[in-house]
Amino acid sequence: MHRAAVLLVVALFITSCTAGNSASPGGGGSGASGGAKWDPKSISGTVVLSGWQSSPAEGNALTQTLLAFQAAYPNIKVDYQPIAGDYQTAMAAKFASHDVPDVFYVNADYAQQWISDGFLEPLDSYISKSGVDTTQFYDGYASVFKGADGKWFGFPKDGNTIGLAYNSDLVKTPPKTMDELVSMAQSLKGKDGLTAPLCLNPGLDRGLAFLYAQGGELLSSDGKSAAIDSDASKKAIQWYMDLFKDGLGMTASDMGDGWCGDAIGKKHAAMIFEGGWLDPAMQSTYPDVKYAWSPVPTGTSGSPVTISFTVSYSMGADSKNKDAGFVLLSYLTSKEGMTKWTQGGVALPARKDVPVPEGKDVLSQENAYAKPGSGFMKGWTDVQKAFQDAFTAQLQSKTYKADPVIQATKSAIDKALAS
Amino acid sequence: MASISDARPPRRTRSRATSEAIAAYGFIAVPMVLFLILNIGSFFYAIYISVWKWNIRSGPEKFLGITNYQNAIADPVFQKAILNTLYYTAIWVPLTMAAGLLLAVVVNQKIRGRTFFRAAFYFPSIASSAAITTLWIFLLAPSGLFNELRGAMGINPFFSLFGFSPTQNWLGDQSTAMNSIIVLNVWTTSGTFMLFYLASLQSISHEVYEAAAIDGAGGWQTFWRITFPLLRPGHYFVATVAVIGGLQLFDQAILSGGVGGDPNNAMMTMVLYLYNAAFRQFNFSYAAAIGLILFAMIFTLTLIQRRFFGQAPSW
Amino acid sequence: MTDVALPRETPAEVRPVGDNGAIWRRRLAYALMIGYALVMFIPFSWSIITSFKTLPDATNMTFIPQPLTLAGWDYAISGLRPSLPVLFLNSTIIATVVTVTNLVLGSIAGYAFARLHFPGRELLFLVVLATLMIPDQLRLVPVYLIMNGLGLTRDVGQYVAVIVVLAIAGTSIFLLRQYFLSIPLDLEEAARIDGAGFFTTFWRVMLPLAGPALAAVAILQFQGTWNSFFWPVVFLQNAGHYTLPIGLLFFRFSGGFATNWPPLMAVVVMATVPIVILYVFFQRYFVEGIAASGVKG
Repeated sequence: MHRAAVLLVVALFITSCTAGNSASPGGGGSGASGGAKWDPKSISGTVVLSGWQSSPAEGNALTQTLLAFQAAYPNIKVDYQPIAGDYQTAMAAKFASHDVPDVFYVNADYAQQWISDGFLEPLDSYISKSGVDTTQFYDGYASVFKGADGKWFGFPKDGNTIGLAYNSDLVKTPPKTMDELVSMAQSLKGKDGLTAPLCLNPGLDRGLAFLYAQGGELLSSDGKSAAIDSDASKKAIQWYMDLFKDGLGMTASDMGDGWCGDAIGKKHAAMIFEGGWLDPAMQSTYPDVKYAWSPVPTGTSGSPVTISFTVSYSMGADSKNKDAGFVLLSYLTSKEGMTKWTQGGVALPARKDVPVPEGKDVLSQENAYAKPGSGFMKGWTDVQKAFQDAFTAQLQSKTYKADPVIQATKSAIDKALAS
Repeated sequence: MASISDARPPRRTRSRATSEAIAAYGFIAVPMVLFLILNIGSFFYAIYISVWKWNIRSGPEKFLGITNYQNAIADPVFQKAILNTLYYTAIWVPLTMAAGLLLAVVVNQKIRGRTFFRAAFYFPSIASSAAITTLWIFLLAPSGLFNELRGAMGINPFFSLFGFSPTQNWLGDQSTAMNSIIVLNVWTTSGTFMLFYLASLQSISHEVYEAAAIDGAGGWQTFWRITFPLLRPGHYFVATVAVIGGLQLFDQAILSGGVGGDPNNAMMTMVLYLYNAAFRQFNFSYAAAIGLILFAMIFTLTLIQRRFFGQAPSW
Repeated sequence: MTDVALPRETPAEVRPVGDNGAIWRRRLAYALMIGYALVMFIPFSWSIITSFKTLPDATNMTFIPQPLTLAGWDYAISGLRPSLPVLFLNSTIIATVVTVTNLVLGSIAGYAFARLHFPGRELLFLVVLATLMIPDQLRLVPVYLIMNGLGLTRDVGQYVAVIVVLAIAGTSIFLLRQYFLSIPLDLEEAARIDGAGFFTTFWRVMLPLAGPALAAVAILQFQGTWNSFFWPVVFLQNAGHYTLPIGLLFFRFSGGFATNWPPLMAVVVMATVPIVILYVFFQRYFVEGIAASGVKG
């Protein structure tokens, strides 16, 4: 009796699986009627918009932006459905069931993965039809949402660069070079109740900025092979690790803090490397701590460099309402939409033609030269994990050797590039 | 005294046996149908996709055979995950069973304030794992309450014998992270296991104890000679549920070590590894292979326990 | 501690009354138990203390809020979206239904596996155990596909999907089966000789004896569902359907990048109260099992 039932279930599954397979992957521009003139005002329908839940400030900014969109395009109704809990888990279920929102957030971290898996809709046909100007996006943000074939799979909704945030009571003039950073840290060491002068991350999520600044590279210039084992890269990583060895830097975890924002807020550290998200956290949690921003100091590479993080608005290959979806997507990433969204200071604009929000001038000026801090290669999360695990092992065993870190990272890069 | 193992009623006629079977199938029908669809169905789905290169949206792309299984077993991170998971289970299961049994026996007596103690001992089990793990991270931070307290009590020399510094980062250090989670989970789950044992203790009738008392057995003897063996069905339940749960450690691991199982994979468990494969790399067939390896391990251990704890028909 | 091992209502003769050493051992035992009980309350006390703090103060390792504020509670009650009553109602509905289905389905099936004979019993019971061995993370996609196919990922169907997935846990059947196994056969036999059917025997004789096990299942399932996160977060996508744990997520970033602890803890405290009440109510069944029913062994 039960055997029959099992067979039934198996049969049910196989049919449901194969039924799902018939959908063609990434059917480009299927929603748009070919050749017709693009007139966004005449497009109507309901667009389901999804993203992760965020702070009340972001919620308000989004509401304002959507109201402005509604006024401009009264024929399109936006149904905003934020996703609670783990975003990638929830989206996995939606991709599997071919029931995806029309427009949704894609973090640069996994954008390349989602592009190559065919989850996202290429935007090129919509771009050429609508004549949307894509040249205003900063390249550091836009590049991570392009596929290997150069097609667009999303427009950056905003961005963030990593800068140096310093306690302005303890640091009067911020360091301009990495040498100044080290000597400043040495002068602060063991003073003013600091646990360590610098709060540093043991991973590439910040370490990459130091690697670039000190003349190292992760990948070769064509992006096809690892360059982490070059002499310059080795020196850069050893230099970064020596900050920990010499007691100038410490991880947030070892300071007893959840992240470096807590470390500067509790005066455990005087200098940290974070992005614009630090500002609301400091205002709400540590309103009495005085701090200021400065660009990431210039290292031996000789030119200013930092890394940036971004998120896109994208459409799914299985989205139902793509024309209306693109109208919303292009509005939210247009000069007008992005101005509305960023003027409250929730993030940096990803476009050159959007005015810099108040208090974001230092971080915004880094936009000009920032390199992507994630998502610029497939399998990036594995590379990051390999680096961080090996780096942490060196810190905790107090051996402080760059070589094992480089070997682990290189083999992760090789594996990622080969796949 | 009733013999527990002898559940077979005498003289069953054929028609009675048939009607008994029909009644039994009726009694289990609803749960079994749900299980077949939602659990066993998922199981076969996992077997099916684990031999493919599988795209979650568009389905099978390439037949891989056992490649996913081979890759998993060859991955040092997965090996670490297996070791971590087995280590956790081997330490946590006996500790939490012993703690749960001790608490149950204590609050099963006629003691003053029994209701209070029953509530108090169960209390850590009430909070969600997210809330309690967050608190644990807070308490065990380098300058957290635990380190402050042992400093104030002057017992740091004792800790330094084991190489722990006064500001030991318990959850952030790869040598102490897993043990810290074991302590947390013994603490929080002992209440649940107390509940299981408390229910089991009720099925032992007084006459058994009265007989033991007449025989002049002391408390300690009565416990080991009578209570403990009579709890056999309870032990089997508790041990099975604990091993199954222990091998699926996930919540505390991801909350304290993040998806990466930090520091340096010290918190990487098999389910966390599976989670990474499925929802970070979107490699569902690889995740399915991991799930099936885990299933095979749990299944084997459960069968061994069945041998160990119970003879048919009480298993 | 001679008496620790003895269950309740031990005949007085066994206890060495009047022995000085025993009295001191008894006092020591009480001191240990009270001490341990106090340790158990630390997390909850910490939640209460933090709920009365300001956000900057909440990150400090102090026991007295400086300053003491009701802002956290105020924000918890007014600031949640959807509102607190809606979250409570959703959680209560789902947890109650799931508890009832587990009690009903679990006890009937547990009885069948413990006492009835039928072909395939051992194998089907292994299936029950096997359901516990498949991680939810692996089941997510197939289960979602099934629910989506049944139209249960939209509107009120989302509730139904959560309830169906949680309706019966293998542990409920397993626990009740083990309990029924340990009940002596005599009473049941008497009922059968009187000509009672299988269901009547279960309902009239066995179920009344199962108080402690039913209480354990009720507490565990209600509490587990009340705190559960994984399946509700997957299926409940309209804000109006959110349960308390999902609503709590709202506080995660409401202090910028930092967690907004005070209102979070206020909700945690409020969310704990129903479980405590339920527990205190059900725990009295732990003295009314077979031991109290006068069954002769």
